[in-house]
Amino acid sequence: MVAAGVIVGLPAYNEAERLPAVLAAVARAAPGAEIAVVDDGSADGTGDAAARCGASVLRHPFNLGYGAALQTLYKYALRSGAELLVQLDADGQHDPTEIPRVAAPVASGECDLAIGSRFVEKSDYRMGPVKALGRQLFARLGRLAGVAVSDPTSGFQAMNRRVLALYCEPFFPPDYPDVDVLVAAARRGLRIREVPVRMRESTRASTLHGGTRDFYYVYKMLMSLWAESRR
Amino acid sequence: MTDAERLAELRQLFLHAPESGAVRLVALLFALSLAAVVLALVRRRTLRAEYTPIWMAVAFGTLLVALNLDLLRWLTRALGAWTISATLFMLGEFFLVAICLNYAVRISQASGHIRDLAQEVALLRQRLERLEPNAQGLGEGEGAPASTR
Repeated sequence: MVAAGVIVGLPAYNEAERLPAVLAAVARAAPGAEIAVVDDGSADGTGDAAARCGASVLRHPFNLGYGAALQTLYKYALRSGAELLVQLDADGQHDPTEIPRVAAPVASGECDLAIGSRFVEKSDYRMGPVKALGRQLFARLGRLAGVAVSDPTSGFQAMNRRVLALYCEPFFPPDYPDVDVLVAAARRGLRIREVPVRMRESTRASTLHGGTRDFYYVYKMLMSLWAESRR
Repeated sequence: MTDAERLAELRQLFLHAPESGAVRLVALLFALSLAAVVLALVRRRTLRAEYTPIWMAVAFGTLLVALNLDLLRWLTRALGAWTISATLFMLGEFFLVAICLNYAVRISQASGHIRDLAQEVALLRQRLERLEPNAQGLGEGEGAPASTR
């Protein structure tokens, strides 16, 4: 059961087709929570689809990127006075029935940030070779920086207001926030924990972060980690 | 005569090559045209005045060099280069790298501001839609900014 004062947020870009089913599943899994969708400048009526499902809709006037959409969500949650935010992707990759499981350690005060991980327990989830390599690289870099997280690229997370306040700062990357922001959180004394979850592979050819940008992603992450280490 | 002496002599030949009036004229025209274009852009409000000092400085520098090529010769000697054109190329490259880096910094700052503003628009629009349910169509009407995609 998810208590009041909780927002379940989904950044969405051109997801009008799949979003209603995902939102229905979220509403069943977290009946006490407000559902907020950030429509990141979609052209297919994603925002309207979310509104019809009863979600609070934050519409970007144009496409800003996955990280910026997440940050809008954080700003909204912080201003709304929410005690806890659970974020998941709108493409159906994350199983909404796992929301209470991901939210539980943050709600109990056990940690500030909980990350739904595909790799804590054995799973049949498969990712592309470049992504898999990147994930391993970032997991290792994260460990070197003091963040022992097996799935730093997971977009299934729960966080409290301390994390929200940090993530609303200008350093938060507009495109791909991953292990670099986790390192920033850990360096500021926030407690991070991984929670095993099941994930489906996204059925879409090009997701919010994927495709040909993988190499840029690896490069950018190394730069961000270096910048964070100098902060 | 040793190789080093021959090279030194050759370098002196390059440095004392007679200057071409055409080069001087082209440089002069370039400097005056650049200044004129900058002033015209400011007058049309296409270029903001605070971005002009660098371009006026380039125009002034080129004018100075066109009027007195000895300045460039002196710099070429000081840098150990062989020809004036090599010095000019080097200065040009330094300038281009510096100006690109400067604009990259400005674009980074502007991107951050645009992101903040767009997020603020989203948050305020959501608040408005909550207060006035009929305002939900805002975004498709004339009140909405055009998509940049």
